[in-house]
Amino acid sequence: MNPEALVRPELDTGVPSGDVLLAFAEAIIGTDRAALDAARTALAEALGPAAVSGASAVAANFSKNDRVANGIGIPVDDIVFNGTEDLREQLGLNAYKSAENTFRHM
Amino acid sequence: MPFYSDSEIPVRDDLAQAHAAQFERFARAGTWGTAVQRLAVISEARQAGIDAGMLEAPEDGGAVSDVELPEDVRAIIRCLAASPRDFDMGTYQQARDAGLSDAEFAELVAIVSFIVNLDVYARGIGVPLRPFAEPQPGNPSREQPVEAVLEQAFVPTIPNPPEGGAIAKEMYGPFKPYIMRALSIVPDEFRAHLELEQAQYVLLPKIMDFDYNHHEGLTRPQVEVVAGRVSAINDCFY
Repeated sequence: MNPEALVRPELDTGVPSGDVLLAFAEAIIGTDRAALDAARTALAEALGPAAVSGASAVAANFSKNDRVANGIGIPVDDIVFNGTEDLREQLGLNAYKSAENTFRHM
Repeated sequence: MPFYSDSEIPVRDDLAQAHAAQFERFARAGTWGTAVQRLAVISEARQAGIDAGMLEAPEDGGAVSDVELPEDVRAIIRCLAASPRDFDMGTYQQARDAGLSDAEFAELVAIVSFIVNLDVYARGIGVPLRPFAEPQPGNPSREQPVEAVLEQAFVPTIPNPPEGGAIAKEMYGPFKPYIMRALSIVPDEFRAHLELEQAQYVLLPKIMDFDYNHHEGLTRPQVEVVAGRVSAINDCFY
C-alpha cells in the first residue's frame, strides 16, 4: 500500500479498488449526499454490497477513534512513534494540530 | 426485529447487535451522567453533525431530553462532534472550567464519539439515523478506579500492567495501546469502546494478522485505506 495516497488521494494506493475506497471514505464523512450515494453504488459494484457495510463500519470506527484520541489528548505510543519519523514527515502529519498531544511530552 | 432490517446493504448480525447495544446504553444512566443527561449530550452531538451538513436529519429522531446543557458544554460537544481536528488542550480546559471533572469529561468524550460512530455507519449504508430510546430512570454509579493516574493524556488513565495492577490485567490483558486505554477512567465506556472496535475494525487478537479479513469483500490493506483516509481528513495524528 502507498500511504501517501491517504493524504494525496489523487495518487495510486496500490490496493485493488483503492480509488473507490478513498472516494467512499471521503464521502461518508463529507457533506455531499449525492457524492456518498454515488460512492456507495460504485463500491457495491466493485467489491460487493457486503463491502459497503464493512467500509462503513471501518469509517465509523475511525470517526470514533479520531474523536477519542483528540478529545482525551493521547500521545502516539512509543512503539509506533519510534521509527516513523520519515513517514510522518512525508505525509505532513507533524503539522496536524493534534500532533501537539505527542510533541508536548518531548 | 433486526436493528438494520430496513437496510438494502447486508449487515452482519454481530455488528447490528453491537450497535443496538450502544443505543440501549445511551438510554441508561452511565457512570457519571443520568440517562436524560446522556440523551442531551448525544442529541447535541447529532444536531452538530446535521447543522454541519455531515448528517441528514431523520424523520423520527426518537426520544428528546428535557435537560438544558450549559452553553460552554454545548460548544465543547459540538466541536468534538463536527470539528474534531480543532479539539485541543484548550477545549479540554474549557470543559474543566465549566465544572466537569476529568471522569465526567471522559464520559462525555466517549458518548459523543460513539454517537458519531453510529450515525456515520447508518449514513454509510444508506439508512436513516436510528431513533434514540426513551431514557430510563436510575442513578449514575460514580465509580472511579483508584488505579487511574495522570500519564500523558489530558485525563488520568489506567496504565498497562504491571503498573496498572490487577484491574489493568483484567481490562487489558498484557498490553493495550493508548487509543484503547484512553477511556479507562470510566471502565464502562472503555468496554463499550472495545466492543465497537472488535465488531467494526478487527478482532483484537487478530490485529497483527494481516491475512485475516474481518469484513466480507475487504482485505486488510483495503480496510487500512478507509481507516487511514478518514483519520487523515480528521487531522488525527494518532
